[in-house]
Amino acid sequence: MASVFITCRQAHALLSGQCDGALNWRQRLRLRIHLLGCDACAIVRRNLALLSRAVHALDQRMGG
Amino acid sequence: MAISFKRDEPGSGPAGTAPAGGAGPSGDAAQGIAALQPMLLRLARLQLRNEAWAEDAVAETLLAAVEGLRTFDQRSQLRTWVVGILKHKIIDQFRRGSREVSLEAEEELRDGDDLGELFQADGHRVSQPSAWGDPEQSLARVEFFTVLQACLDQLPAPLARAFLLREWMDFTTADICKELQVTSTNCFVMLYRARMRLRECLETRWFAGDGSKDHG
Repeated sequence: MASVFITCRQAHALLSGQCDGALNWRQRLRLRIHLLGCDACAIVRRNLALLSRAVHALDQRMGG
Repeated sequence: MAISFKRDEPGSGPAGTAPAGGAGPSGDAAQGIAALQPMLLRLARLQLRNEAWAEDAVAETLLAAVEGLRTFDQRSQLRTWVVGILKHKIIDQFRRGSREVSLEAEEELRDGDDLGELFQADGHRVSQPSAWGDPEQSLARVEFFTVLQACLDQLPAPLARAFLLREWMDFTTADICKELQVTSTNCFVMLYRARMRLRECLETRWFAGDGSKDHG
């Protein structure tokens, strides 16, 4: 059985998948465990959330 | 591309000048639509990543908007309404160019980099990401969106297409796979690469630089 502990690299891919609502329960569980102990990935998660909000607002906030 | 809306009166000024008089609400709206042209073109370029397709999509949008003005609900925002039309015209362009779009996506998936430089062999990050501070401050700044556009522009075309279909057009990943004619796995790979590249770019060009603090 694969470890419940994943690397940051794997966690980054899951964070992206989470933005697309594409994770199954096992992936969600591993990501949650990883985020408990990893500040870097927690930051990346917030970064991606801001990126998403910004792109949604792109046509409203774009100059011109 | 130059599209202007000529008025009936002889001797009226070029499009963009104030009407001498006699222009009803629809005249004002037509002027308003014409004024959106540069913004529409920038959006179309970002999403389509093909100059000719972008110009065609915007031309079709302007025409459809002017012809459909009667159906425009005056209480809603003109900009939002026209951008909604643009999104449909962009999809039409994707379908016309589907062969090229799918070939470029295949190429990116075959030759594109896998972000290896971001991670060490053991899967840890090479550099620590930085917390981006108060998101509201950045989202309130027009300059932030200029940097975001530059970062989107730097992405390989297939990644930008996939990412904007997802995050700007609100497509499901299933629909993105269909438009770009890639497998579901490859679709996630492209979205992942796009997000990581954009994150790095924003961090370097906005959050780490002075950009986010210039007018703080």
